[in-house]
Amino acid sequence: MFWGVRFSSIVLAVLGCFAIQMLAKGGAPYFQTLIVLAGVYVTLAVSLNLINGITGQFSIGHAAFYMIGAYSSGVLTNNYFKSAHMPELAWLVLMMIAGACFAAIAGFVVGLPSLRLKGDYLAIVTMGFGEIVIIIVRNQKALGESYGMTVGTKIPSIFLTSLLAVTCIALCRNLIKNVHGLSFLAVREDEVASSAMGVNVTRVKVTAFVIGSALAGAAGAVYGHSLGFFSPTNFTMDISFVILTMVVLGGSGSITGATVAAIVLFYIPEWLRDLKIIPMSGFIGAIIATIAVVAIVKRTMDGHQARPTKTAIILGSIVGGIALTIALRFALKGLPGLEGTIDGNKLRSVVLAAVLVILMLLRPQGVFAHHEFSWNWLKKLFGKKPAVVA
Amino acid sequence: MDFSLHLVAAFDLTTLPQQLVNGLLNGAIYALIALGYTMVYGVLKLINFAHGEVFMLGAYGALFVSWYLGYRPDGASPPASYLTLILMLLGSMLVCTVAAFFIERFAYRPMRSQPRIASLITAIGLSLLLQYSAQIFLLNGTPQTIQAGKLSPFVGNVTLNLRGPDQAKLDEAEKLKPSMTAAAAAFKARLPLEKGEFDLSPEGKKLQEEMRVAERKYNEAVNAGTAHAVKIAIPKGQVVLFVTTIFLMAMLTYLVMFTKQGRAMRAVSHDFNAASLMGINIDNVIVFTFLLGSALAGAGAMMYCTFIPGTKIDAFTGLTPGVKAFTAAVLGGIGNIPGAVLGGLVMGVAEYVVVWAGYDSYRDAIAFVILIIVLLFHPGGLLGSSKVEKV
Amino acid sequence: MKPSIKTLAFTLVSSIVLGAALTGCNGGSSSDPGKTTPPADDSGPKTTSTRPAPPKDGPMAEGDTIKIGTVCSVTGDNKPWGEDSYQGSLLAVEEFNAAGGLNGKKVELILGDSASKPDQAKTATEKLMSQGVIALIGEVSSGNTIQMAKSAFPQGIPVVAVGATRTDLGNEGTHVFRVCYSDDFQGPVMAKFAYDLKGCRNVAVMTDTSLPYSQGLSASFIATFEKLGGKVKEHKYTSVGGTNNYSGQLTEVKSENPDGMFLSGYFTEVGPIVNQARAAGITVPVMGGDGWDSDQILASGGDAIVGGYFCNHYNNADKRPQVTDFLNKWHAKHGGKDPGTTMGALGYDAMALTLDALKRAKSVGAKGILDALEDTVDYKGVSGDITLRGMNGNPEKRAIVVEITKKDAAGNWQKFAKDFIPADLK
Repeated sequence: MFWGVRFSSIVLAVLGCFAIQMLAKGGAPYFQTLIVLAGVYVTLAVSLNLINGITGQFSIGHAAFYMIGAYSSGVLTNNYFKSAHMPELAWLVLMMIAGACFAAIAGFVVGLPSLRLKGDYLAIVTMGFGEIVIIIVRNQKALGESYGMTVGTKIPSIFLTSLLAVTCIALCRNLIKNVHGLSFLAVREDEVASSAMGVNVTRVKVTAFVIGSALAGAAGAVYGHSLGFFSPTNFTMDISFVILTMVVLGGSGSITGATVAAIVLFYIPEWLRDLKIIPMSGFIGAIIATIAVVAIVKRTMDGHQARPTKTAIILGSIVGGIALTIALRFALKGLPGLEGTIDGNKLRSVVLAAVLVILMLLRPQGVFAHHEFSWNWLKKLFGKKPAVVA
Repeated sequence: MDFSLHLVAAFDLTTLPQQLVNGLLNGAIYALIALGYTMVYGVLKLINFAHGEVFMLGAYGALFVSWYLGYRPDGASPPASYLTLILMLLGSMLVCTVAAFFIERFAYRPMRSQPRIASLITAIGLSLLLQYSAQIFLLNGTPQTIQAGKLSPFVGNVTLNLRGPDQAKLDEAEKLKPSMTAAAAAFKARLPLEKGEFDLSPEGKKLQEEMRVAERKYNEAVNAGTAHAVKIAIPKGQVVLFVTTIFLMAMLTYLVMFTKQGRAMRAVSHDFNAASLMGINIDNVIVFTFLLGSALAGAGAMMYCTFIPGTKIDAFTGLTPGVKAFTAAVLGGIGNIPGAVLGGLVMGVAEYVVVWAGYDSYRDAIAFVILIIVLLFHPGGLLGSSKVEKV
Repeated sequence: MKPSIKTLAFTLVSSIVLGAALTGCNGGSSSDPGKTTPPADDSGPKTTSTRPAPPKDGPMAEGDTIKIGTVCSVTGDNKPWGEDSYQGSLLAVEEFNAAGGLNGKKVELILGDSASKPDQAKTATEKLMSQGVIALIGEVSSGNTIQMAKSAFPQGIPVVAVGATRTDLGNEGTHVFRVCYSDDFQGPVMAKFAYDLKGCRNVAVMTDTSLPYSQGLSASFIATFEKLGGKVKEHKYTSVGGTNNYSGQLTEVKSENPDGMFLSGYFTEVGPIVNQARAAGITVPVMGGDGWDSDQILASGGDAIVGGYFCNHYNNADKRPQVTDFLNKWHAKHGGKDPGTTMGALGYDAMALTLDALKRAKSVGAKGILDALEDTVDYKGVSGDITLRGMNGNPEKRAIVVEITKKDAAGNWQKFAKDFIPADLK
């Protein structure tokens, strides 16, 4: 029975990835690139979730391992692909493994000593490591300095990208279902207690860190071979921050949450490309109004005074938000710098950041919190709701 | 990379004293910003990633005040005065305080009861929001500069001579001077007859070449004379910055250790709930600390942008100083006020020693390398309490 | 039932094997559009004459407007340059449409933001292509342009680069053109100027390691200057991730007693460097590339920068009709201000050149524009005369070296010093 389920799920997963590839093939290059990038981001978010969410270690330098994977596999392809005489896809699989290995080694070297540190100290060490890697690459002629590196042979494969994402999800999911993974969770909840229960805490932390880094490295290899060119600016601190945000917004520890958040957050700036010219004062008014309304709602919800009904809050915030936006739109119109209009393209980053803040204020435990997506959870969620309203 | 070459360069001791002083002055900037970081962390236990952006807003505040007072890049401007500097300082601190008030009120306060990672993401989100908004709404993101040359009365250097030049060689060089001036005069006399400085007739070219040969000879002789001179030039403005940092450190230490407000801050830092049970108004203490820390960022921003000549002010101005100050604060032991200053100074000096040794491309990496090494051996930072997590 | 690492390993390996087998049956994904194998040119940064041609002819213009896309870094680190490039292109389009467009058909300029990152330049390009653009203008940096070129290649859409100076850019295909200098022109121009005309023999170079433009320019300057017989010592700093305090590097420079300094960075860092160098007692002439072209350099460099030399495309005193025309229009639109950076003129040129090609094109489509661009002879642009026929996309343009002076009443602050044409360097 076990092997039957296992085997069929593997087959299903592979067929699913194959179906994605077939579906995407007909689409525009834009669509294909989006799918590849989404796959890469899902892998990154889920792998960071293993470190941050599941094991509770605070890493904010994930882009460094992603970068190591991309550069190491890029160097290997540029030097050895021609003499290897291998089919491209097999080579890409090999490169994913190579990228993963290099990133895993780096993860081990960084992780082993620094996982003694806790919380914020570990955070800054990982951040510092990310900066160090970038600075080193910027000064290496062989790696293209700050310009970047061209991968001689582009191997864009939607199939392998999605398979990597699925593998990553499956790996993490299976990991926390077995005894090794339970020790990860134990370390997150209480290190001392888990250590007393015979869990080798250091080993668990380092294992999580190395697996997470390796997956990020594989993602880097896929990314590099799909785009054919990357530069240090693709792996800066803000990319690490975005990955971290995906994990937290999805709900730390929730694999499905990280997956969904990765896709959504990655897609928001792309979706905003459709934004056309809008008045500047209206835009900034909308942002201020939203944040103000969210903050007010938040305080009403948390307050001890009598709470209005949910419908009243929702209606009130929508009406209030719109009214405030309109008021601000005209109030701000006279200010210097705000009288004109602006191309929506320039607002992509601003809107993404605003969405982050607002979502965080509204649902600090993340969209999925610690839960995984499952039918039971969904049923519970929707089954409970009417009771609250009534 | 030719390592031996770098070794030779590394033993050029004549520039070392100057570089160490440069390093201390450089570190004072990090220390000044780190003070604010460490204060906020001490009480809120939150890495305030938006601190760098508050710093950036402060820089803009100082810039606008200086513009309002008439110190623009073009046109005439009033004479330099201390009052201008003080007004800019106040303006910058005011902007930062107001910004910090809104940030605390609308972003951090609702998050206080939430897990720390959620507050951290809010801080990151705010930091990005402020950066990108500034890029659109503050002068369209064009880099600007405070006209320090026009408004700062602290002009020039304080020079210390540690070892004089070789006077005999200088005298010898002096003998070459007449021939150089003669050649220069000859060329200068010729220049009006030519079409332009870069479009010379053969005769002009010959005269120019003679002038240059004479100049080169003279310069070589002078350089030979001054090769062993060791002197330290300290820009006056940066001395002000350094002194301010040390002064503020002392004041803050006094505030935290010896006043009632400071006791409340320490109590809140130690235990939120217990402090509140003891009758401390937590909100007030946190707002006070947060505004104080941000005002310090404002002071740092104004001094950084004024006393480092030509510093550009744009949306990303606060990013690097913020990250480095954060590193400095952690290096010194986060939450510890003298530690922040020590961390900043250590980082500043380390950066300049790296430059002196000839590895200037790795200047910005060394801070993190030192940080990692220090944390590995002393996980609480240089002056922090060393609570090793038992593993 | 105790799943273990073995099961995990099995899962992993079997899925990969199965996957490879499945895609293998499909004959690989060789029909993937977007997959190109550009010649990996290891023989150095020289542009090869055998550039690959796009596999198919690009789309024709559809709808009632002719759509042209521009990818600009309107957010992120390169915003000041990207913004200017966009404004320049916009100006050219407005002018074209005001003059009646192409037989009454208007041109629509669609902006794609790259956020100063190559991967976003790729998605922006592909988004623009899905909106039906027939030509692409873009990017101020080489990294982003190369990503655009890679994406546009399979579709056969021409890319006119604004500020991509990398010499190997043209290797991407016959659809890539540029209107700026490449690194192997500007660096040698300044090296020759420093060595021959300023009489420098021992130059300190300062390179911004976070800026590909600066690294490329420094490398070509150093190569030529050393070939001429001069001595160079390179110092490095970082603009992204560094601070504006350069006293350490400048102390080292001072101890080396150079007779000239070459600063290959952008004006945002050059101003502070020169300002601090003069304060530290370094009095030698300073020189640089077209990244200096912004009157902000006067604000950040103060009096210290006056007397510096840099390589530029035109100066305000230039009396060519293209220049005066462009400046008048720019001033009218932007409240009397000059373009903030040199990308204003280059963005205008890139767009105007494309529109000129559109007029000359045999068909209103990507292929027509591509052929017309390739056939450009002596196009009179703001930044100089552009010839692209048989040039592998690299125009041979005149470069002028200008001296920075104090701003006069008319707002001029660049004094013409010397001009160079490519033949001068041979």
